[in-house]
Amino acid sequence: MIQILDVSLPIISFVLFSLLTIPVVKAIRKRKSKTTVLTLGWFSIVFSIAAVPVANLTIKYYEQPSPQPFLNITLASEPFTIFSSTFMIDAISIYMAIVFTAVGAVTFLYSIFYIDLSERPSERYYSVMLMIIGCIIGVAFSGDLLTLFIFWEAAAAGSSFLMLYHKTPKSLHATLKYLVMIIIASAFIVYGLSIVYGITGTLNFWAVRQALTVLEDKHLLVTAFIFIAAGYAIEAAVVPFHMWLPDAYTAAPASSSAFLSALIDQGSYYVLLRVFIYILTPPTVLDWVIMLAVFSALTMIVGNLLALAQNNVKRLIANVCIADVGYNLVAITSVTPLGIMGNLYFFLVGGITTAVSFMAVGILNRMGFETLEDFSGIGRKMPFTSLALLLSAFSFAGVPPLAGFIAKYLVFTSAIEANMGWLAVIGVLTSIIQAAYLLRLINYMYAKTPQEETKIKEPKKLLVPIFILVAVIILLGVYPTIVLNLIEPVIQQLPFIP
Amino acid sequence: MQNMLLLTLLLPTLGVPFVYLTGKKSAKAAAILVALIAIADIALLSTTVPIVLDAATEHKYVESYYWIPILGSSFTLFVDGISLSMAIITLILILTAALFSVNYMQEKKGLAEYYALLTLLSIGLVGVFITSNLMLFYFCWELMLVPTYFIIGGWGYREPYRAAFKFFIFTHAGAVFVLLGIGAIFMVTGDLDMFQAQTALMTAQPELVKWILLSLTAGFAVKMAVVPVHMWLPDAHSEAPAPMSALLSGVIIGAGAYAIFRVSLGTVFPAVMATDFGNQFLHGLAVFGVISAFFGSLIALVENDIKRVIAYSSIAHMGYVLFGLSLFPFQEAMAGTALHLVNHAVSKGLFFLSAGAVMKQLGIRDIREMGGLAGQMPVTATSSITAALSIAGVPPFACFISEFLIFVGAFQAINSDGFYVLPTVLMLVATVLSLAYALRYIRHIFLGPTKLKKAEEVPFFMKLAMVILVVFVIVLGIWPTFFLDLITTVSFG
Repeated sequence: MIQILDVSLPIISFVLFSLLTIPVVKAIRKRKSKTTVLTLGWFSIVFSIAAVPVANLTIKYYEQPSPQPFLNITLASEPFTIFSSTFMIDAISIYMAIVFTAVGAVTFLYSIFYIDLSERPSERYYSVMLMIIGCIIGVAFSGDLLTLFIFWEAAAAGSSFLMLYHKTPKSLHATLKYLVMIIIASAFIVYGLSIVYGITGTLNFWAVRQALTVLEDKHLLVTAFIFIAAGYAIEAAVVPFHMWLPDAYTAAPASSSAFLSALIDQGSYYVLLRVFIYILTPPTVLDWVIMLAVFSALTMIVGNLLALAQNNVKRLIANVCIADVGYNLVAITSVTPLGIMGNLYFFLVGGITTAVSFMAVGILNRMGFETLEDFSGIGRKMPFTSLALLLSAFSFAGVPPLAGFIAKYLVFTSAIEANMGWLAVIGVLTSIIQAAYLLRLINYMYAKTPQEETKIKEPKKLLVPIFILVAVIILLGVYPTIVLNLIEPVIQQLPFIP
Repeated sequence: MQNMLLLTLLLPTLGVPFVYLTGKKSAKAAAILVALIAIADIALLSTTVPIVLDAATEHKYVESYYWIPILGSSFTLFVDGISLSMAIITLILILTAALFSVNYMQEKKGLAEYYALLTLLSIGLVGVFITSNLMLFYFCWELMLVPTYFIIGGWGYREPYRAAFKFFIFTHAGAVFVLLGIGAIFMVTGDLDMFQAQTALMTAQPELVKWILLSLTAGFAVKMAVVPVHMWLPDAHSEAPAPMSALLSGVIIGAGAYAIFRVSLGTVFPAVMATDFGNQFLHGLAVFGVISAFFGSLIALVENDIKRVIAYSSIAHMGYVLFGLSLFPFQEAMAGTALHLVNHAVSKGLFFLSAGAVMKQLGIRDIREMGGLAGQMPVTATSSITAALSIAGVPPFACFISEFLIFVGAFQAINSDGFYVLPTVLMLVATVLSLAYALRYIRHIFLGPTKLKKAEEVPFFMKLAMVILVVFVIVLGIWPTFFLDLITTVSFG
């Protein structure tokens, strides 16, 4: 039987370690010798201990005699439901927790090497990262809209710190933009939540869902969900609310961009999935499919066209993130098991791929290469970093046997299945654009001759996490069954399946 | 042994790092290793020949492994007569390309990467032909793309990456439409096995099947370089290094034709065959075939760049193949088309290799500046003339027999469908054009007065590669029985 402790322990352990990290890292810094090894040791302890409760929860969930669709675990006593906070454990939240922990660990490894330990506030940086992983796992476990909102905003606020770490004028500007956007977004969401609570008397996913099916007057409901959806759409960077993302990810240190694109971006799709699929299905309750389809088409087109026009490589990758939002939305829009499967697969793969490219670009940026012209001939000067960037670019473009291919295949197929062939065609056409600008990048890297031929020494330590993720991209491309088997239980629990 | 086909794919896969490491020490050894892998693969594939020829096994040989059950895909490796012929001929071309490269690429840099990419390419190329699972098919289909891109770009002529870029974007754009079609097939049938899907599609909604068919065929046609989506071909083929051109023109565009044959016509088409749309579709193929044949031949007739002449002749020949495919399901025409893919692969491979030999020895590529090379480079001249005549459809060289079979099929089709009268006549005219450009090519380069100072005959390995293919072109012309026997085990329609 799963207890409240089992559920909260993953979150608590991350938060606890986050607090402990500050004194520990400070102590390590004082020793002045073997600092890297000690830091590595500390964080491997952190992650191996934090992984235990996640594993424990997974095992407990799957060893239940009769698979329950979901498990509601409430924190407060019955009469005060207004203050109650609920965790909901189902296959999807467990999947997300595993993904967040695993991907978080690898991107964390990169940050340890990327953010110089001797720098003053680096301990805070690590601490905030751990805090964000904890919060985002909290998002995955949330069982009601309010808990979801609280954890999500905590994670979003934390990410602004990661963006601001270097405190350059550009990053200040970008973070300010981001903060303004998320504050507007949270205002929208809270407003929407209050209406939902007003008309249904609850915020729990399943309770709201049931209340909605018997609701007669839907006018207020439409307003409420427009607010909620708009709020989360801002945070997921759906066009036309995407403007903050390229700025923020370009100005942030590469380790932050990699971490945020792998966790926060994917988390935002998860939130959209929860709201749309787990509350508002079947779509007859509220006809949102066409609206979302239009937005996803817009996001794919605008994201890819913006990327096509970019000259700064980091910004180009940031725009690929926007395009990815569009592909994820296509999957949500389809409201089919296949689409959700594609979406969950895309979470993981898209997150890993953007993380790899941000990491590789981070190394190159350090060497002073920023624009496409700077990248000329980098393939010969820094073969390993370029190889990683090359493979992630091909994965984005959907070239098998890399993981991005399976993700795109699932997404397009689900669009056809949902009778939205036009959306699939837009997806295909935009992915040709995507292949074009990614290939342009590759062309610069391999075809152009550099101004000077000297080889540059590549930072081996930074390449380790990159190549771990590259190996995952290849493995998941060749043999996707590993992850698809994890996703399969989710598909059987989908609420719109009779 | 039950894992022959799996081994056929595993051998080059595991071979890639070895080829790379060998190449770091000695490029020649790497080339020979690639050739040895190809020979071993041919040996592995030939063990399935008796099984395919045996009627008791329904002329098929299948291996199936666990892969992605949720997506209706297992790792199914499959050969029948046609796919076996294509796979064998592909490996023969890879073998000769590797041997040819020993001397041809001698003074180039980064040969370890080159040979590793060539090995990687061979996985995709062979894989396309020996699978019946659409997902695996698509994997291999795209696996051809990346190595080709880097080989053209890294070791090509003039502005190689420009040509490679064009190649990649065009064929990848085609491929995503293929992907759309495959996705739709999965959605309709829940299975990605070509044969299961075929049965399941028979009961599907015809309107949807129509779109699947069009999307797939359009995608494949890009790889096949049918006019008007041929634009990538002349650049890619002429800027690539000669061994790569031989593979591109020999088997990569052939794979496009094979895919139309196997997937469009084999899997999807039967579901709409009886409808009006089915007829229109076939007529459409015939029209595009005639256009391609004329377009390619006419430009080959006026082109002066040695490799572009051959590149345009490839477009013309894909026109023949497409015309042949439009005659579905006439047995002679289908067998002829499949045989033409084999014959064209060998002849065109030889053609490009010999052109590469000329280019390498002379250092120029304008055929008007050449002349009288027959006396100076006898082996190259013999190979070029053999290839040119085969491409022109002159007996006793390979392509004659297959073109003849296609026309036999065309005349049968005329009996039942009056539409085919005009295309058939036009195709016959195109054959004359192909003879014209072949003779022009020979006259300009090998006959007439010597315009250049003494040119030397090519070194040993280039000679060896060309001689192997000359033997094949002639033997296949005189005795096509081996491949014809294999191909006719497949029944159509």
